[in-house]
Amino acid sequence: MKEELFVSGRDIPNIDPYLHIWHWQIPLYLYLGGLAAGILFFATYYVIKGKEKQMQTTVKWATIIAPIALVIGLGALFWDLKHKLYFWQLYTTIRFTSPMSWGAWTLMLITPMSIVWVASYMKEMIPGWDWKFGFLNKFEVWIIKNRVPFAWIMMILAVILGVYTGILLSAFNARPLWNTSILGPLFLTSGLSTGLAAIMWMSKDEHERKTLNRIDLILILVELFLIIHLFMGFMAGSAVKTEAASLFLGGEFTVSFWVFVIILGLAFPATLEALELRGFHVPAWLPPFLILFGGLVFRFVMVEAGQITRFLY
Amino acid sequence: MGLLVILTVYITGRGLGASGAVKSAVVTTADAIVPIHAHTNPYYSKFISSDKSPMYNWLVFESLGIFFGGLLSGVIFRRVKKIRVERSPKITNKTRLTAALIGGILFGIGSQFGRGCSSGAALSGSATFSFGGVIVMLVLFGTGYAIAGLFKKLWI
Repeated sequence: MKEELFVSGRDIPNIDPYLHIWHWQIPLYLYLGGLAAGILFFATYYVIKGKEKQMQTTVKWATIIAPIALVIGLGALFWDLKHKLYFWQLYTTIRFTSPMSWGAWTLMLITPMSIVWVASYMKEMIPGWDWKFGFLNKFEVWIIKNRVPFAWIMMILAVILGVYTGILLSAFNARPLWNTSILGPLFLTSGLSTGLAAIMWMSKDEHERKTLNRIDLILILVELFLIIHLFMGFMAGSAVKTEAASLFLGGEFTVSFWVFVIILGLAFPATLEALELRGFHVPAWLPPFLILFGGLVFRFVMVEAGQITRFLY
Repeated sequence: MGLLVILTVYITGRGLGASGAVKSAVVTTADAIVPIHAHTNPYYSKFISSDKSPMYNWLVFESLGIFFGGLLSGVIFRRVKKIRVERSPKITNKTRLTAALIGGILFGIGSQFGRGCSSGAALSGSATFSFGGVIVMLVLFGTGYAIAGLFKKLWI
């Protein structure tokens, strides 16, 4: 056991010296939020590019996951709240300097929009589908007519959602592991990659899978690049930063991070994807499964480890 | 195999093993489902400590590596196909799986009495000149050779 004498004028249980307020709900939400952002980004991107026909799973089928992931994620966030009945107070203000305010408003918009997106494809996905009410059918016609502008708005919101899942952590200036500007792009890249993985898992179209496979390979490389820079930044930083990094470089998160996130969650699926592109037969579910699993472990490790890093010594 | 053992000892400072990973998984499962039994059982309790999970063991990670490494080799040499049961054409899948289950249980029990399985006791053991390891190697292959005829129809 590591004992420590701590003298402080403050007495804030669960905050000093270690943050102990975020449990499984937060990383689960960050993961599902990133996943939904990734799926919606690629769905909207291919609609804007006019490639709906070639990317059927990306644009239609896979987007069903997005609202489900968002609703489960928001459920987890709600569960985490101490004063559940006051959640609506987030919507009484708009604060540009608060990532949580950005997130709350983005979610408020993107969740119903993702449901509308899926609904607008129901007739194409399930022949004979009828909305029963005239106004719903009229609304659907209007959405289908304005699909491209709708896609533009949702694509921008998806990027904000993906970045915000990282910024939410990096805005904690008291936690050195989180307090780095790389976390925003890193979480966005990871979210895009997990989103792609989910689409690839669902897609049966060889051409579509190949296209997504190629993008995913690039995203994984970008993610590895960002992680290397994350650690380079820590190692070149002050003592608290090197201390934070040491949790992953010999400390208690070394195994979970390097084995499950870096090797099994990124490097190994990237190798398999590269082999698949060169014509080798790889079980279709395997790379997506590993990427999704690695992404989940990544969120859990970052949230867990970040809470025990601190500036006070 | 010999080169592999040399490399493993060089890198990790110890030998290989496979049954240890299964043992860790069994102990962890027992500890999660019936913690009182796991803590009072003289054998299980040896592997339970308060600060680290029994899964925090190099053999567990080695086994993970064997699985994924084998998979990678299978992909590269185009041996990965649909999941199937490999057996003699004369028997059913059910017979094959039942025999495998019984064999696995016997192997698991035997490896715990023998302080290791074919890789832990026989291979790594004899590589380090352990007398027990040599005995295990002889008994393992000797018994296998003697009774293989009885189980021939499971394979050919």
